[in-house]
Amino acid sequence: MVESVKPISSPVPDAWYPTLSVLMLSIGLVITAAFFIYEATSSRKNRCLAKELTTGAVASVFLGFGSLFLLLACGVYV
Amino acid sequence: MSVIYPFYCHIISEVPVTALPDSNPRAEREREREREEMGIRFDLFILSIALLSAPCLSDLVLSKVDRRVDLTSQIVRITSTLKVENLGTDPVSEVLLPFPEHQAKNLAYLAATINEGKGKAKSSAASLPIEVAHPKEMPPGLIWYSVSLPKGLGKGERLTLDVLAVFTHALRPFPEKISQAENQFVVFQDSAYYLSPYAVKVQSLSVKLPSDPKLESYTKIENTVVSGSEIKYGPYENQPPFSYSSIIVHFENNQPFAVAQELVREIEISHWGNVQVTEHYNLFHGGAQSMGEFSRLDYQARPHVRGASAFRHLVAKLPPRAHSVYYRDEIGNISTSHLWVDSKKTQLEIEPRYPIFGGWKTSFTIGYGLPLKDFLFQTEGKRFLNFSFGCPINDLVIDNLILKVVLPEGSRDISVSVPFSVKQWHETKFSHLDMVGRPVVVLEKMNVVQEHNQHFQVYYKFNNLSLLREPLMLISGFFFLFVACIVYMHADLTISKSSASYLAKLQWDEVQTAIQQVQNIINRCLTIHDRLEASLRDLSRTGDVQACKATRKAADSSLKELSKELKPLVAFLHSSPQAAQILPKVEELVVKERELQEKLMSKHSTVVDSYEKKTGGREIENRVALIQQKLTALRQEVEDQLEAID
Repeated sequence: MVESVKPISSPVPDAWYPTLSVLMLSIGLVITAAFFIYEATSSRKNRCLAKELTTGAVASVFLGFGSLFLLLACGVYV
Repeated sequence: MSVIYPFYCHIISEVPVTALPDSNPRAEREREREREEMGIRFDLFILSIALLSAPCLSDLVLSKVDRRVDLTSQIVRITSTLKVENLGTDPVSEVLLPFPEHQAKNLAYLAATINEGKGKAKSSAASLPIEVAHPKEMPPGLIWYSVSLPKGLGKGERLTLDVLAVFTHALRPFPEKISQAENQFVVFQDSAYYLSPYAVKVQSLSVKLPSDPKLESYTKIENTVVSGSEIKYGPYENQPPFSYSSIIVHFENNQPFAVAQELVREIEISHWGNVQVTEHYNLFHGGAQSMGEFSRLDYQARPHVRGASAFRHLVAKLPPRAHSVYYRDEIGNISTSHLWVDSKKTQLEIEPRYPIFGGWKTSFTIGYGLPLKDFLFQTEGKRFLNFSFGCPINDLVIDNLILKVVLPEGSRDISVSVPFSVKQWHETKFSHLDMVGRPVVVLEKMNVVQEHNQHFQVYYKFNNLSLLREPLMLISGFFFLFVACIVYMHADLTISKSSASYLAKLQWDEVQTAIQQVQNIINRCLTIHDRLEASLRDLSRTGDVQACKATRKAADSSLKELSKELKPLVAFLHSSPQAAQILPKVEELVVKERELQEKLMSKHSTVVDSYEKKTGGREIENRVALIQQKLTALRQEVEDQLEAID
């Protein structure tokens, strides 16, 4: 009974949060930049919806996790 | 068969009081009057017991009772060692502990353990279950608790019980109002004899006062000895059941009388690695009321003389590895705090904004984060939080403690195990990135003291996938932003579809599209050129003429297709008036590209021919050199043109 009790810790070590947030946010922002450059430069008929959506999705995954780790690193434990 | 003991009560109608010689003549008369009042009230209380005397239906006898009353702080702790003996024939399974009503309402904590001699330490002794009992035909004015013994006490058997009773607000400040410079005196009342439904053979009582006591007065009965900071009553022999002899001790006590009217502790669990504790204190000084005006100057000059009864700081013992500790109130951060960290504990010393005198209030909040792995555990598919119930501040009396455990969103099957009785209910709390709210377990308990700093457990079930809720919310938020951008860029929000500027814009869009397509085609041509050049390099390395020819063939066909694609675009640009400006550049680009293409083809054929005729490397280079120069120049021009069109 006693042996089966084991402590629970977070899935990602706390010490990684700042690094992870910087890394993922910078990747996310680069992809976001690429997305907006594409939106602004390609003309309306040449745009490919699938490409826009995939870029947006990848960028939002990176930005989402990056901002989560940023919150955690700041001490806002969600 | 049980022996019926008659009910006797030793009534001390006149409470003899011995005044010590140091007394202050100014307040003397007032105190005398107060003492008389107390004496009368006690007589009434005892009479009420005596009038409704009742038989006691038990064969137990207390062969020895030792009581130690600890008055060193604002909390009264009475430790009694009872040697219980069964004289009857029937086994007895419970021991009754009565308390007078006025004491029982202040009773914060009551625990009984079996003392099995000196060999076995107290650690082995688990506290026995205690319940409120309502025995029949007992005098009123008493509240009864019954201690259940693990196994019945047979005939002639004996056992030693350790009973710890903790009382709050049992020390009454007297005088009730003092000025800033005065010391605080308090009064404690109890019985010199152990109040029990059983006969007591031998008993003694010792009252421990704060060190270096200023004893104003105490009740002197037979066998009373004062030694140092202790008053000893007894031993008294062969007292019948319900013996009562009131004693009053009046002494100086400048210990901090910090009382929290309400303490709200919020424990928030985040599975991302943190337990956040936030404690909202609503404190007041529960001692003698401050009277007259407060002089900050006097206080600052001699804080121990001109403010002896006040307390200026509190010490909280936080768990080890606490981080992000803060101390603030409604105004903002309070900078007067100190923190000491070592591996065993984290000690926080906080100083309220002003010294707290009798009756003064303050409220503040402290908060800290703790590592998750110290407090959250997993067992048999369930998770549980193991946390301390009471508050971390030493010697604080809490009138009303509300403890909230905020579990992460998505927790199910919540159950709580607390070692003592509490009121509990459930709530929902909305916090960061919540959709349905977090389940909150609320525990409420009145009259909490340090003895309640025991661990309690909150069990719940949680799926690890629920951890991804928060990131998914963030991701979907960002994704909606991108989708909104895409929709905005694709949607045509013009109101007037027939206006000239709108039409011009549409045309311009088309021209732009055409130009981008032209650029695209030229770029593809350039890639094919690169491929051809690469095939030539391969040829010079491997001498595989066939492969090179195959590449050439493929390139030819794709170039043809591209030029076919290019034609309608250029034609469209010709027809469009808006492309007039850019048209010459596009045309030049197309021409240059064609030229480049021709040169490259001629170079390619020359080289391949030469290889087929097995001409020397030097000769090929000579032949190609001229074309190569032109090629480089043209390539540069085409690229410049592309950039210019951009």
